[in-house]
Amino acid sequence: MSALDRALTIEDLKAMARRRVPRQFFDYIDSGAYTEGTYRANEDDFKKITFRQRVAVNLENRNLSSTLLGRPVSLPLAIAPVGSTGMTDADGEIKAARAAEKFGIPFTLSTMAICSIEDVAENTTKPFWFQLYVMKDRAYIERLIDRAKAAKCSALVLTMDLQILGQRHKDIRNGLTAPPKFTPKFVAEMMIKPGWGLRMLGTNRRTFRNIAGHVSDAVNLASLSEWTRTQFDLTLNWKDIAWIKKRFGGPVIVKGILDPEDAQLAIDNGADAIVVSNHGGRQLDGAPSTIRALPAIVDVVGHKTEVLMDGGIRSGQDLLKALALGAKGALVGRIMAFGLGAGGEAGVARALEIVRKETDTSMALMGERDIRNIGLHNIYSNDLERRQGY
Amino acid sequence: MTTLGNALTIGDLKTRARRRVPRQFFDYSESGSWTEQTFRANESDFADVLFRQRVATDLRHRSLASTMVGQQVSLPLAAGPAAICGLQIANGEIHAARACQKFGIPFTLSTMSICSIEQVAEAVDAPFWFQVYTLRDKPFMERLIDRAKAAKCSALVLTMDLQILGQRHADIRNGMKAPPRMTPGFLMELAGKPGWSLGMLGAKSRTFGNVVGHAQDVSDLSSLSTWIAEQFDLGLSWTEIAWVKKRFQGPVIVKGILDAEDARQAVAHGADAIVVSNHGGRQLDGAPSSIRVLREIVEAVGAKTEVLMDGGIRSGQDLLKALALGAKGAFIGRPVLYGLGAGGEAGVTRALQIIHDEMDVTLALLGERDIRNVGPHNIYTNELERIN
Repeated sequence: MSALDRALTIEDLKAMARRRVPRQFFDYIDSGAYTEGTYRANEDDFKKITFRQRVAVNLENRNLSSTLLGRPVSLPLAIAPVGSTGMTDADGEIKAARAAEKFGIPFTLSTMAICSIEDVAENTTKPFWFQLYVMKDRAYIERLIDRAKAAKCSALVLTMDLQILGQRHKDIRNGLTAPPKFTPKFVAEMMIKPGWGLRMLGTNRRTFRNIAGHVSDAVNLASLSEWTRTQFDLTLNWKDIAWIKKRFGGPVIVKGILDPEDAQLAIDNGADAIVVSNHGGRQLDGAPSTIRALPAIVDVVGHKTEVLMDGGIRSGQDLLKALALGAKGALVGRIMAFGLGAGGEAGVARALEIVRKETDTSMALMGERDIRNIGLHNIYSNDLERRQGY
Repeated sequence: MTTLGNALTIGDLKTRARRRVPRQFFDYSESGSWTEQTFRANESDFADVLFRQRVATDLRHRSLASTMVGQQVSLPLAAGPAAICGLQIANGEIHAARACQKFGIPFTLSTMSICSIEQVAEAVDAPFWFQVYTLRDKPFMERLIDRAKAAKCSALVLTMDLQILGQRHADIRNGMKAPPRMTPGFLMELAGKPGWSLGMLGAKSRTFGNVVGHAQDVSDLSSLSTWIAEQFDLGLSWTEIAWVKKRFQGPVIVKGILDAEDARQAVAHGADAIVVSNHGGRQLDGAPSSIRVLREIVEAVGAKTEVLMDGGIRSGQDLLKALALGAKGAFIGRPVLYGLGAGGEAGVTRALQIIHDEMDVTLALLGERDIRNVGPHNIYTNELERIN
């Protein structure tokens, strides 16, 4: 039994990743903004929801497949866009995309990926999703959308909650940059994580390849926050959805919605779906967890659009809770990253398999045979209180 | 100051201060009374207030400037009165006053400061605020107010919640006396904190500069402790506010209000503003945190007066939560002390910068551009329960 086969939980994969991935890149993933209160709440709040256990129901021929944006998926799940995945493991985005494709779920490539749109398209056969930030250099963004179209990406994921960067202290303390600076500390890290180092030597993909060589001005890519600070467009507004949709000519999923009013605005302005998200607790520290914010948003727009969610999902049970509270599907970031850090493509496959199996068994214990049937009737209690204002 | 530059949080400054400040002085401020329940609740209760995340709003041209008691401030924040800043680091009050002035926020000098009103006034250009206790020695109080006026202090902060001292065990265990006694234990501490000790050799003052030589029968260190023990006026009543205002002829901010009834009384008796405060958890242990009672006090008197607050603010998010719940501004005590202990004026500047930068980003993530617009609509939920 390989080490990966012995991993029974996402937590196991996280521990393996921690041992194999250089500290600054592991910390980049295992971080939230400021006090990381929202980062922790995203995970912890799932514990405040309990399931109804039902018995004596025919549990044969169970179905976990569903659709997202009208396309079939083997599980109502997608890989979330995660920056610098190609630093968690060499060619990380390609590996994760292949694992997702074999598993039968969409993979979302981040603008701030190491492997470019073209790199991933070359190494996969099925369409993937592309995540877009709106930057001041409009011509660059237009070219990026064109490239996603050319690569036959089946949806754009438009991030609305990162026009300014929430501070993640670990990144500053670690002096995080991509490509990494060869400080004595980093070299020492690589020596104790030789597998990672050797794999990185075996690829030429070590910078932000959606950006390098594609922007009009020479830009210092060494510091992510510096780049963010100067390029991210503070004037991003709802009207931007329209021109992006027009340029792309396909579905646009709006990500970063945590308030019912914003959900309504997103739909009114043409979003084809929304992702309830606080950016994995990496932006507004002090925001509620996404699982907590989800029901109020489903109430307002659930009948008009697909409401997806991300943040804190670490198990099949978490996924089922999200679905029961009205999400059509969920995105997972750290599940992918921990799997990748633990074992490359096979690690991501293992992570997805863990979630699939947990989902399947737990669904059965709830007396359900078809994941598309999961709903509020499967919830015993939800102690997470809705917004009550001041 | 590369190491100060590495401080990313108020907590980092606290860690640095703990290494540099003699233990009894660090412990003096890092204490609450009795079980320290209220001291801890002040900080931890902020986690029960959650923000609304809003997106797709124009985030350019953000402003954090505001006013407090009608005075322009670069941030709705003031350094609150904290005793013995000048024992966290030599000339501490001067360091803090300078940092605040340069940052554009008010500094409040405590009656129980080490550097006197006059020493601080000499060292800064901008007016600062002065905190007074109600003491039995009325002529001394009158002279104190006159001195504040002469130094052009732009507001008085009248402390109402310290007529009797809450017990802080650390001070007793440390043999903390004001002023400190040269016990062998203390001398060992000094040896381990040479930076602090050498700094103190050149300090402008090493005792209570507002009191020694100014109060009757207080001419030296030994008579000082006796005087302090006897001075706080148990007969304090609301009418005090009126005579202090009359003497000072300027705004009087009443500090130590934790109850809506008291808030109404303070306003009725002439307070120009109030500070919702439990004295940093150092007085009534078992009192609710300030952030918990803030809303009900704002509802009681917010229409008639400025409601400020202090207690537990350790970040820009904490300050924003206070503003969203109705405070016009807030005082910070310990973050300034941590900054002083960590690095004097530069340390205080770092503390203020940390809070400023956190506020700026968080304000944007709330979808707001102007701090004066922050209010209840920015709150997702406030789980702190009201009085019942």
